[in-house]
Order: sequence, then structure tokens, then C-alpha cells
Amino acid sequence: MVDQTLTENNNQKLQELLNEFSEATSLTKPEKASRLMGQIDVLTDSMEGYSLIYNSIGDISEAGIFENSPWADPAKLVAALVNGTLKSGHPNSTIELLSELRLLAIAKGDYKSGKITAEEANNFIQEVIVANLEFVFNEPLEETRLIMSDHELHKVHNLFRFLSDRIHLDDVKETLAEELTLICEQRPVVTEKQRKIIALVKEKIELDPNREEDKKLLSFQRCIYRPTKNTVGKSTEQYKKLLLSLNNTELYLEAQEMSQSMLEYGLVSQYHAVLLTFLIEGNHLQTVPVCMGLTPIGETRWNEHTTYLSDIILKTVHIYNAQCIYGLAKMLENGVIAREAVRSGLSNLMSIKIHPKVEERILKSTKNPHQAVSARQYLVGALFRILGQPLGVGQGNNPTCQSARGISMWSQHAPAKLINMVQTAAVTNDLSFRFEGQEIKASEIGKGLVQNLDHNLDAVSVTLVPMLDRVYNEMMLRGSGRAEDPHKWVNPALYGQWIQIGFASAYDYFSNAIVDFDGFVKVFYAMCHPEYNGGHHLIYPNPVGIFITSSKGDMLGFHAVSLLRVEKDPTGQYRAYFLNPNNEGRQDWGQKIKPSVFGKGEKHGESSLPIHEFAARTYAFHFNDLEAESKLDNIPLEEIQKVKTLAKDSWGKSYTWLEIKKKW
Amino acid sequence: MAKCFALMGWSLPVIESMQKLNKPYVVVSFPDFENYAKENNIPFVPYQFDEWSDTSNSLDLHEKLKAFDADVAVPLFEETVEWAGALNSIYRDDPRVLNRAFLFRNKAMMKRKALIGGLRVGLFEEVHNKEGVKAFMKRLNQANLQIDGEEDSWVHIKPFASAGAVGHRLLRSMSDVDEKCQDEDFPCLAESHLPGQEFSCEAFVHGGKIKFLNITEYVKLGYSNFIPEGNLLHGKRDRIMKEMQKLVDLFGIQYGMIHPEWFLTEDDTLSFGEVACRIPGGHILELAGKAYDFDALGAFVLCHDPSLTDEELKEILPPLDARPKQFYGNVMIYPHKNSISKLEIPEELKEEPYFLDHNLIPPMTTQKVSDREGFGNHFGTVNFKGEDPDRMTELLLHYENVDFYH
Repeated sequence: MVDQTLTENNNQKLQELLNEFSEATSLTKPEKASRLMGQIDVLTDSMEGYSLIYNSIGDISEAGIFENSPWADPAKLVAALVNGTLKSGHPNSTIELLSELRLLAIAKGDYKSGKITAEEANNFIQEVIVANLEFVFNEPLEETRLIMSDHELHKVHNLFRFLSDRIHLDDVKETLAEELTLICEQRPVVTEKQRKIIALVKEKIELDPNREEDKKLLSFQRCIYRPTKNTVGKSTEQYKKLLLSLNNTELYLEAQEMSQSMLEYGLVSQYHAVLLTFLIEGNHLQTVPVCMGLTPIGETRWNEHTTYLSDIILKTVHIYNAQCIYGLAKMLENGVIAREAVRSGLSNLMSIKIHPKVEERILKSTKNPHQAVSARQYLVGALFRILGQPLGVGQGNNPTCQSARGISMWSQHAPAKLINMVQTAAVTNDLSFRFEGQEIKASEIGKGLVQNLDHNLDAVSVTLVPMLDRVYNEMMLRGSGRAEDPHKWVNPALYGQWIQIGFASAYDYFSNAIVDFDGFVKVFYAMCHPEYNGGHHLIYPNPVGIFITSSKGDMLGFHAVSLLRVEKDPTGQYRAYFLNPNNEGRQDWGQKIKPSVFGKGEKHGESSLPIHEFAARTYAFHFNDLEAESKLDNIPLEEIQKVKTLAKDSWGKSYTWLEIKKKW
Repeated sequence: MAKCFALMGWSLPVIESMQKLNKPYVVVSFPDFENYAKENNIPFVPYQFDEWSDTSNSLDLHEKLKAFDADVAVPLFEETVEWAGALNSIYRDDPRVLNRAFLFRNKAMMKRKALIGGLRVGLFEEVHNKEGVKAFMKRLNQANLQIDGEEDSWVHIKPFASAGAVGHRLLRSMSDVDEKCQDEDFPCLAESHLPGQEFSCEAFVHGGKIKFLNITEYVKLGYSNFIPEGNLLHGKRDRIMKEMQKLVDLFGIQYGMIHPEWFLTEDDTLSFGEVACRIPGGHILELAGKAYDFDALGAFVLCHDPSLTDEELKEILPPLDARPKQFYGNVMIYPHKNSISKLEIPEELKEEPYFLDHNLIPPMTTQKVSDREGFGNHFGTVNFKGEDPDRMTELLLHYENVDFYH
């Protein structure tokens, strides 16, 4: 009832302002428009608000809101420009969303314009939707996150919810299939985004199995909704009953089909959980490795720890927590489970009591928390995924790349430490770290970078990140004021002892300039490039600070990634393979620098760039300062020049450059 | 019926009102506006108001306006009050009209006039330097029987001839005098501080009689006000009306609108602050227009016309005893920080039933907020509308302290 009154009240205000705007002559129209737009901006906070605006869009348009603006003629709009305008904030984003609503009204026949037909308007909106998937799924790109306020993000996301609820998406299949491929190839730990797209396709698009272009989208749907022939048209209960009627051979074939479906895109269906628990409970233990799609190596580990694994599977896996099966399979493959410390750690987790605050965060991070699954089960399930897919860890819509990077590193190189940290954090809602001999306790220090955690994260991240973020921030505070980048000391303290002591930063605090960039690039190549570092591989991930630049190459901000390896790609070009915790497929850093996530020799979860392009965005990294010096003279000058030109013409414009030499 | 109104100063809303009322007008303003006027078919005479010379004076302007048949001049802004006074003196063949205009432009003269006429005013004095202010404060302290260690009496200083809060400083102590006063402030008017409820009146005067009286309740000077007045002030309306008519008689106002500020002190006395005869700041006429549902700007202009008939007056003004049900208020928003990068409309405001609209615009990039002169430039206003004046007061006080810019 209260909402009803509020809506009515809002509508009255809108009409009142619209009235004033229509009655104004051209002399005071700009002032009245500003008020009207201010009110529309406020209304965009809710879907009801959007409905109110949509219902009046004809009047708003007739009153002249678009007059004398680039939006005046609906036939002359460019879909590719919408994204940029939406990002540029009120009032631009407000007039832009009005333009989209006008087109929607034209497409739906709710408003007539002589300039453009309903079909043309419909096509235009489809184009806009495809070009703005980041908003449709509320997964803004790093660049977007840096420039848009929370309110603006929310407003634009609402716009796309409103549009996609009202428009068919038939012509966007190819783009959606490509988007799904790019996401799935990275095997992210959180699979909500691909599931949302797949659900959207199922709901909104007619697919024809006989058409080539539809097959790919159907294969994604199959993975989730009917992974095997036996699941077609059945609920999970019906499927379980059917399993009872299968003989051993049939079960084996069923398990094979199921695991193939999972391995194709890394997506697990609910039926998979039914089958796996059925196999274990029914003592079909030799079929379990098939059901998890294990290689002979993974199968050996299953055979070695059958009892232990059976136990934790039954305690964790549930149809509403099924995605963890993929993570567990990968844990068996990568050998994490072979460590005694890891198995002990996981056993300990089976009996913990989770702190109510942590429980709240975990349930909030779960899209549809089911009462049959406990927060502990969600947490352990997420831990399987993190341990099995360390490169799939993401930061969500949070400025917490540091924490995500840490979780990924520990997962690979200190998994038992990670498990122990998760346990402490889950039970006490607190964490403590050592920094230069002093203890830092998350509960006793100030705020971190993130004020409102976006809970679109895995359960491990929501458990750890609020504390890690605070600890990291406190370390940065304590390390600041030393005339050098505090990361020099913070990285080893936060991530652990395998971080190299040497630290190179292109930015010099003392002179407030980029100093001896040539030398910086030399140290970088000597650190990681096999042709100049004596043919060595990187052993541990190197925490690297990079500049984020816009698609025009303009400086946007700072970001943390991990450099994992530098190797030749299939075409023989040296590439830097790195973990970018923001999980982005399509990125454009300007100057044609576009990180690739798939098809250039990347493992699942890696991003990659030609080595010189990566170097051209790097501003800080760690290195072995005892070994580097002897290698610096081998780096060819042309290569250094190439990096420097790219750097100077992009983020470098925001800094002073000094050419004096310095000791690295 | 006036043949043509000469609007002294540039105001788009006033021009719009004239167009809608279909009244003949010509705008007199700085040459900067000439192009816009031409493009929009606005009758226009460019004039350098801040220049007085053989070629720039009221007789010259009078000549220029003959082409438009202008016979009534209307001052829209403080700086055009003498110009309009001079022209109207000619149009009405009455030299005192100009003298009255001077009265509005010198706050010391204005107060003295009020005092002579029996209006209650605070203590005031023209001061010429910091020593003068200190001496004035000292005498006030003595009159207030200050004991050693007690606070100094508060003193306000104001330029003789500026609009509203421009150049207005509140000095709370002797050291304030040293810190806040600048040499260029002098000479100016110093006056004692009057505690109490501040409000302004907008009296539409025709033939020397108040034809409509709006009372604007100030919640905080320079920040917020609302219309019509709340219940306390409304209870005193008859008295206010009497004092107002006294003021009109005393100043000899025949036509136009006056906008004085008053204080109602706790002992229930009304004290006169100052008076202006142009469009008041704080979007007061906009609020009055909404609350009483009339074209307040149009009425402001038309009241200057001696030939307006009673019928025409009735048509354009609300009845003298009108009491609107809905209160309209606004609060001017100033950034609280020196450097701002974004605008955030608070959730509580969006859910506030009294919230009407706002015209705040986000900063383009990180923006430095320039130092405040008077109350500085506000970044926009937030408007409210509702039935309860107490709730309105509460809201306006609250949002004055809410930071919209971060």
C-alpha cells in the first residue's frame, strides 16, 4: 500500500514537472528540462519508476525534450554510441535512456513517429542490448566500474532490465554465443553470468536445432537443462527414480555422457549432483571417476582417497550446490587433494560453526539460497571450485583486485594456508596478518577500499575479502610515506614469502615522475622474458601493477594482476600470460591492445598479450634483485623503444618523464 | 494600460511571462545579451548599466526607449533600481520617484527613514574602517551591560547597496572584526544582531495600497525558505499587514512590489531589517507563484503600471485573504567540501513524500569549489511541497546539512 502511494506521488510529481516543461517557451525550457530530468533520474532507481517514465514517454518526447539535441531524430541515432553516453553520467545518461524508452514505445506501437518504423526501432534496441551486455547482466567492465557511480550503474542496469523484459532478442544469437564462449573458456569460479545469459536465451529466443547458428546456443542450454538424453523432460526426482532402473553398463554410459557435458563448458547441471551422489550411495565407486570426467591421473587420486572423498562429497554436494563438482574434479586433476594438509584442512571445515555475519554474507552471495543447503556446504563447495580453478577467481564488481589475486595465489601455492584462513575467517569473522613484525587484525583497523561489497562473488571470497581488503589497506597505510610505492613491502607481507624482494616501479615518488623507463623495461624483460633471463620460467605468480587505460588509450586508474608465465604462443610470438581478477573477455586498452582470453595459447582463466604490449601497461613488479643486474644489457633497444612509445602515447601523457638513469 | 514595459535587467522567466500575458515590453540589459535577444525575437536595447557619462545616462536611455513607446520602467535587479527610478520619474513627471529609488540603494538611509517613521529597527551606524566596527561593537557591549569574560555582542556589516546576502558578514567578536573584515568592505553599514524569526514580505502595491501580501518564512537566511508562512507568523498576519502598509506609506511607494525583511523577536516585537524593490532572491516569486497559483513575475511587472485597472489587478493577483493548503519550500545546496567529483541524491530524499524536484547537476570532473562571496553560488535547489509547515521546516533544516556533493 505504501509503495502504491509512493508511486502515485511520484507520478504526480512527474506529471507536474512535465506540465511545466511543456508550457514553458523556449526561453525557460532548459531550466524546466533540468528539473524534469532530475526527477526522471530519481525515478530510474526502480522498475516502477521506469514504468512511470515509459507511460509518459510519448508526452515527454512531444513536449520537446529531444529538440535541438543529437537525439532529436530517432532515425539518425547510432547504436554504437549508446554505451559511451550511458557511461557519461546525468544528464547525458538520462536523455539517452529516454531515447531508448522512446524507441521501445515506437517498437511496441505505444508511440508513433513518422521518422522510424516499429521494426526499425525494434532492431535498434536489439543492437543496443547486444552492445551493452555488461549492463544487461550487471557485470560492468573495469573501465565502466571506474567511471560510473553506484547510482548510475543501478539506473542503467534497470534500463536494460526494462528493455530486455519487453523485447525479443532474435537477431543477437551470434553475439550471445560468442560472449558465452569467451566467458566459459575462462572457466570462472562464479558461473552466474553465463547461467543468466543461457536462461535469457532459453526464455527469449526461439532456437531451431536444424540451424547451424542455433546449435551452439543449444549446446550451452543442454549443459544446464538436459545434459544427458535420460534427463530430457524429467525433474531431478524423476531422474533419480530412473537411475534405479539402470544396470551397471547403462550407469557407466550415463556417467560418461554427464561428464562430457560438464567438461565442454565447465558448467554443471543439477542432474549431475543427483547422479554423483547416487553412484556413491549405491556403492558404484568405480563409476565415480567417469562421472567426474577424470583423466587417469585424477582417477588414481580418486582410488587412493575413495573413502575420504566419498565422505566429503556426500557432505557437500547437493543439487543446489552442484557447480562444485567441476571444481572437485579439477582438484583431483591438479593434485591439490594429494596433500595431507589440504585433506586435513577440508576435514576440519566439515564440523565448523560459521559466524552469523559470515553466514549472512554467504547466503547473500548465493543467488537462490536453498534451505536444504547449509552455508557451510556453500562455503566448502566454493572452496572446491577455488582450489580446482585457481585462475577462475574473480573480484566481482568490487575494487578488490588485490584480495582476489591473493586468493588465487594461495590456492595454487599455499592451499592449506588458504583453507586455514577460510576456517578462521568463517568461524571468527576476523583475520590477522603479520606486517613487519607487528600484528594486523582485521577487526581492529579502519575501513578497506570497498564500502558496499557486491555479493556477486563465490562464498570463499565473501568470507575472506572484507577482511583481506581491510588488512591490505592497513598495510598500505603503514607502508606509506616512505617515498616509495608501499606495495614493495605490502605484497610480500600479504601474499607470502615467495614474492621476490626486489621491486621495480616506473613511477618515482621522490621526483613525482616516470624515471628511467628504459631501465625499468630492461629489468622487466630480464625478470620474465626467457630469451633474456637465461631461458628461465617464472616459478611463482608475480604481482604486477598495471595502468588501466580506456579504449582511446587514456589513463583511467590502477589495477592489480598476476604475471603467470611468458611463453611462445602457437604462432611463435612471445606472450605474457596473466591472471586478471576482473574476469573480462572483451577488453580494449587502446592502441589496439586487446587482451585475449582464448585461442592464443591461454589456459582456462588466463589472459594474454604480446609481451611488449603487456610491458607497456606495467608500472610495478617484483624481481630477484640479486640476479637481475647481470642480464640487463642483453635487452635489444628496439624492443625497449617499442614499449616506451606505447607507454608514452597512452597513460604516459598523464605524467612527467625524466630520462636520468637510476640504479635498479 | 501601459504602452510598453521597459524591463530593466535580463531575466528569461520574466520575458516568458510577458510573452504569455501578451503584454508589450522591451528588455534593457548589457550588450552581451543582444545576440540571444535577436535570435529569439526579443525587443532589446543594449545598455551599459555600470557606466555613467554624457552618452550613458537616464536621459539618453529615455531617448532610446522612445522608439518602443516605453512608459513604465521595471527594475528586475538591485543594480537597475536607480535606472528604473530615473525613468519612472520622467514617465510620471515626479522627481521623488528617483529619490525613493536612492532610498532603496542605501541601507543606512533606508534605516534612518524607517526609524523616523516609527518602525522598530536595530542599532545601526555607517562605519568607515575596522576601528569603526570595533567602536560600534564596544558601544553595543556597553549597552548590553557586558561583564568581563562575556561574549561580545554580534554585529552585522553589509554594503550599502548590494542585493541580499552579498558582502554580508556576521561578526561575533572583536577578533572576528580583524579576521573577517577586508579593507574593501568599507564604508558600509554596521548593525546590531536581532535574534528571532526572520521573514520577508512581498507586497504588491498599486496606488499606494497593498493589493496582495505574500509572507515568506525564512528557515535559514541564504539557504532555505517556504511559502505561505507557517502558523506562528500567520497568526500575526494582521499586524504584519499594518506594519507593511506603514512602510509603504512612509517610503511613499505608489506602484510596484517591495520586498522587506523583518524579524519577529521572542518578546513579540516586529523589527524592520531592510527593504528592496526588485525581484527577490531565493526563488521566492517562483515559490509564491506555485503556492498561490498565480503568475508572480507577471504580477510583479504589471503592478508597476499606474494605469492598471482594479479589474486587471484582481485578475492577476490572488485575493488578499488567500491561504493556500500546500506549502512550497526550497533549500539551496552548497557543496560542503572544497573538491567534489560526484553528486549523490540521498535515498531518504527520494523516498520523502514532500520532495518535489531538484535541479542539481553532477560536476563534470573533479571540481574545485570557489570561495564563497556572501553565501556563494549555490549549485542548485531542492524543492519541497507538503501540507504541514512544521514538517517543512524540519526538512529544510535537515537538508541544509546534507552533503549532496562528494
